[in-house]
Amino acid sequence: MNVLLIEPDRLLADTYRLALEAVGHSVRMCAGAQSAIFCADEVTPDVVLLELQLVGHSGIEFLYEFRSYPEWQNIPVVIHSHVPAGELAGSWQVFKKHLGVSSYHYKPLTSLQKLIHVVQELSPIETALEQPISSNQV
Amino acid sequence: MARASMPALSEQLLLSVAEQLKLPLLQIARQAELAQLTNNPNLHEIESSADTALRLIDSYVLGMRLALEGQESLMLEPVSVSSVLYDTGQQLEALAKFYGVKLELQVAGKFGPVMAHRKGLQAALVSLGASLIEAMPALESPQLRLQLATHRCRYGIVAGLYSDTETLTAEALRQGRKLQGVSRQPLVNVAHTGAAGIFVADAILHAMRLKLQASRHHRLYGIGAVLQPNNQLALI
Repeated sequence: MNVLLIEPDRLLADTYRLALEAVGHSVRMCAGAQSAIFCADEVTPDVVLLELQLVGHSGIEFLYEFRSYPEWQNIPVVIHSHVPAGELAGSWQVFKKHLGVSSYHYKPLTSLQKLIHVVQELSPIETALEQPISSNQV
Repeated sequence: MARASMPALSEQLLLSVAEQLKLPLLQIARQAELAQLTNNPNLHEIESSADTALRLIDSYVLGMRLALEGQESLMLEPVSVSSVLYDTGQQLEALAKFYGVKLELQVAGKFGPVMAHRKGLQAALVSLGASLIEAMPALESPQLRLQLATHRCRYGIVAGLYSDTETLTAEALRQGRKLQGVSRQPLVNVAHTGAAGIFVADAILHAMRLKLQASRHHRLYGIGAVLQPNNQLALI
């Protein structure tokens, strides 16, 4: 799977990249929202791992921009952030319904194993197995 | 309904430091987990993350101690700004390497000694530098270059850290001071974290009755400590 990892801390980004590559994923790293849009334009990701706390444009701004392009509207986005869930409680419905966020994971409490598992679950093969194509779909 | 009062500045700083410490601890935890997964431990990175955490705690404690002891008991001594910058560079070298930041020392010119609390001044510059180094890759600047430099300004001698980051402005610093401990990203256009290192440096310098301020050096933007030259020492 092509994973777009949006992580501003270089050491953490390298650690996540190595862990995901170790299980066979291809990872593109971006430290900011603007470069992440360019990265997605170059290689369409299968899944986006997003930190909300970025320099300049925030992760939420990235999400709005990302979802404004029709071809990226169905790409799963996983929030993996330093921001605790409690601070997002009021916004969660917006994230889920309007911005299509697949899941949220609080970074300090999310192990690499867990993160790998989250990405694996979103792989097209698994999704296809879970949701078989119906007869009326072309 | 009565509103809870705003936390005092020292409490805001403590909150900011506690929040910031999560980052190196998280780095250590994930690097250790990666080592187990891949059977390839990167002990140097783990060591660097642990050093970052220890340095932040150390600087915070020093700042608090200086503030509690008061100005009267400060052990001032003649300090060469160039040598402080050199030692700061030495302390930051390993961290800069891990973050892919090129650290340069520019101490051309004669500035003479200043009367200062050497340990405090150095701790402030190291704390400031570590915070800027961590923030730089997130700025996505084409050049990851940080310059330790000194120059004269109308208020005295500035010893600071400079880069091509245009967002390192006096206004950003002023806003950051207001938002410190209240916002997750008080310097939203400079750092993706709470930038506690910058505010710890600010607290140390404040305890020494010095100032941290945004300044320009050649064509670079940066933050530095303004030091008063000692005319008597200059005569020696």
